[in-house]
Amino acid sequence: MSEPLVVAERVEMTFAPRGIFALGKPVRAVAGVDATVARGEALGVVGESGSGKSTLGRVLLGLLAATGGAVRFDGMVLPKPGSAAWRALRARMGIVFQDPFGSLDARRTIGAQVEDGLAIHTSLSAAERRAQLTEMFVRVGLDPQRLDAYPHEFSGGQRQRLGIARALATNPDFLVADEPVSALDVSIQAQVVKLLAELRRDLGLAMLFISHDLPVVRHLCDRVIVMYLGRVMEEGPVAEVFARPLHPYTRALLSATPMLDPARRLTREILPGEPPSPSDPPSGCVFRTRCRHVRPECAETVPPLREFGSLAHRVACIRADEIN
Amino acid sequence: MRRLWLPAGFVALIVLIAAAAPLLPLMDPVRQDVANRLVAYLPGSPMGRDEFGRDVMSRLIWGARSSLAVAFASAAIAAVIGTALGLLGGWFRGLAEVLAIRGADVVLCFPPVLLALLVVTLLGPGTGTLILVLSVLYLPGFIRVSFAEVLSARSQDYVEAVRALGARTPRILLRTVLPNIAGPVLVQVSLAVASAVVLESGLSFLGLGVVPPTPSWGLMIRGARATMEQAPMLLLWPCLALTATILAMNLLCDAVRDVADKRGGGGAPKLRLVDRLLPGLFPAPAAPRPLLDVQGLTVEIAVPGGIIRPVEDMSFRLDTGRTLAIVGESGSGKSMAATAIMGLLPPAARVADGVARFDGEDLLRMPEAARRKLRGGAMAMVFQDPMSSLNPVHRVGDQVAEAIRAHRDVPAAKASAEAVGLLKRVGIADPDRRARAYPHELSGGMRQRVMIAMAIANKPRLLIADEPTTALDVTVQAAILDLLADLRREEGMGLVLITHSLGVVAEVAEDVVVMYAAQVVERGPVSQVFANPLHPYTRALLAAVPDGDIEPEGIPGVVPRPDRWPPGCRFAPRCTFATEACETPPPLEEVQGQAVRCVRWRELRA
Repeated sequence: MSEPLVVAERVEMTFAPRGIFALGKPVRAVAGVDATVARGEALGVVGESGSGKSTLGRVLLGLLAATGGAVRFDGMVLPKPGSAAWRALRARMGIVFQDPFGSLDARRTIGAQVEDGLAIHTSLSAAERRAQLTEMFVRVGLDPQRLDAYPHEFSGGQRQRLGIARALATNPDFLVADEPVSALDVSIQAQVVKLLAELRRDLGLAMLFISHDLPVVRHLCDRVIVMYLGRVMEEGPVAEVFARPLHPYTRALLSATPMLDPARRLTREILPGEPPSPSDPPSGCVFRTRCRHVRPECAETVPPLREFGSLAHRVACIRADEIN
Repeated sequence: MRRLWLPAGFVALIVLIAAAAPLLPLMDPVRQDVANRLVAYLPGSPMGRDEFGRDVMSRLIWGARSSLAVAFASAAIAAVIGTALGLLGGWFRGLAEVLAIRGADVVLCFPPVLLALLVVTLLGPGTGTLILVLSVLYLPGFIRVSFAEVLSARSQDYVEAVRALGARTPRILLRTVLPNIAGPVLVQVSLAVASAVVLESGLSFLGLGVVPPTPSWGLMIRGARATMEQAPMLLLWPCLALTATILAMNLLCDAVRDVADKRGGGGAPKLRLVDRLLPGLFPAPAAPRPLLDVQGLTVEIAVPGGIIRPVEDMSFRLDTGRTLAIVGESGSGKSMAATAIMGLLPPAARVADGVARFDGEDLLRMPEAARRKLRGGAMAMVFQDPMSSLNPVHRVGDQVAEAIRAHRDVPAAKASAEAVGLLKRVGIADPDRRARAYPHELSGGMRQRVMIAMAIANKPRLLIADEPTTALDVTVQAAILDLLADLRREEGMGLVLITHSLGVVAEVAEDVVVMYAAQVVERGPVSQVFANPLHPYTRALLAAVPDGDIEPEGIPGVVPRPDRWPPGCRFAPRCTFATEACETPPPLEEVQGQAVRCVRWRELRA
């Protein structure tokens, strides 16, 4: 079997304080993460604020150059940001942002913005670009008559469709969707999730879907990785992870998710204390300061991700055997 | 666009007159005629003659040429170079930033007149020198403005988006960043042109600018000053010309900025006003008296196109110790209803109808002073964004103590001690130390706990929480919801919880009010409504929640704007069950403790 489309090995991303009078410590947003996304696969990344999930997305796209480890895309190591090879690669990857308002330029027509990728990467004539644009608009469920309108004339859900159209205009292989539905009302959310699922199926897209909303990930993704403070706590097929969470953090996360159906509700596990600062993470297991199964040995070594039960289900907890 | 015509026409007129000076039937502006010096009027010289007998009107128009040429040229040079430097400095940071910003700082250190003197001494006076001096003087303004704008623009998602598409830096800077910083730069241009006209006059007045006898407004003022007592009008004409030009320039630049701004200026405030609404109404019950009884609440906002009603005929009741959730999408009016009940409506909105009895007293008709006494006392509110509701420059402990002392006459020390107790009560670890922290030193969850501590400081009987957990992570949300449930149980508070999350409603509320487009569409006990939703909207909303194994289904379309509500059932255009009967407004009907606003609910239930 050939290598997955995107392969991240021991990826680290540390942000150093900048400037002459920079104070404070470097912040390690992503600490040694392994991840792969196969062609046509949707990988969910869940975690809370500060877990490093958005940073991971940008590193996999090559928008940020990893400070450690390596990312390969279609077999080649990601080139340096800004280089010609890097720019050429942009056509094969796309990103959709969370904020439907901030992610579109309010001062340019939507047609011009969705067209950008084609204008940059292809030598198509203006008329040919228009034709492709029209097709893309229809595909994402927007009225192609409105190519010359400005973003403020669209609702949040429509803007998110525009963001998706922009990301997909160059027909990329890989799409990173960074909380694309978090800012939308629930009725609109479902429309956009459905659109993403369709596009993925029709275009054979590989997708990294970043979200803090576990039920959405469950519906859209094949596999999921659960992040906490820059590290992967658990990884596996969505059905597995959601039905049989192995890591205490995954369980807390699932139990905290409000459920409509009282029958599905888990006993609330309230995490004590506050999340530690990413600039000063705990030694050993980063979750140990809030874990109810903590033991002294949890502080000693960083628990490796290891297989548990089925082959694809992996967990980073030294006590996984006892507590499960 | 219409805004642009008047100032643009005026500026164009001024420029045109100045440009056409050689073609106009004017007298020679430098021809002296000592016999007629200082006369107030001569045929052919409607503004009279100056101290050398030169025609004032002619000098005014010819003077405009040099004044405006200097002003426009120097502002344009400064704008182009300054914006370019600011763009590069802000985009590349590092060395480019040091050169651009420090260079600008050095120029700012020179007093302008000193700089002008220096340059004039070196190069000799004249129009060219003046342009050079003024461009250098205005450069730092443009560098600073564009630098600051680039810094904020470069962190925007839409800039990241074009970068992610692989655009080259020049394309990003010119196509994406530049249009977005154009507004402030245009304002800066208007200021620079206006002040360049003034400075040109000033420098010419000092003899450092335009060389006599070439006319310029500054030189005219200078000449007129000497003869001010004999011919005061001579001072008036150039001053008037100066003022009119500057005002016209400022108006034009404002108008250009508004027109160039494609963000839809009118849209934003309208959206905000539009915002939200609250639910239903019922015949007043006999006993026992509810804690909060809202009936027929209607809020109106006057907008340019007429009156909109973000909350219409909303009614509900809440008993002591119970939790009522108000759910709905953005724009349904849920928050607006809460602010109306609290008496915190924005100035543009007013309560048009309805009553809201809190312990029997109508909050909506109470004098503001009485209501203020209740707010933060017997009833309190918690908002979505704790960061903007806490004062960033005061310690959180002091803010909680302040909330206590606003309603109770207790000594400062006792209030502080009580504040620490409250922080502990809301689950903040190490409350002594946290009380001395500033809001920015706390996490989002902790700030929300502080807000709740302030809200419960005076043991309110009613707490209205407007999306209290929307900005928080799920594990933090769970902790905050647990805290609210404990407080409600232990303190016997009534809680109104405004949220868009049906999952949250299912977990914490006993009763629910579903709002759509300003109206209550369904109301009843949560268990009943969620298990057996009568209104198609409630059904659709529940079906959109990704929960369980069924694929979530979105609702087609969006909530209509308040000025475009359908005449009949407001949900009809998005409803899969809509028929002709839905074209008349459906009444809110009560059925077994549940209320529903749908003409077809009986058939649909089957």
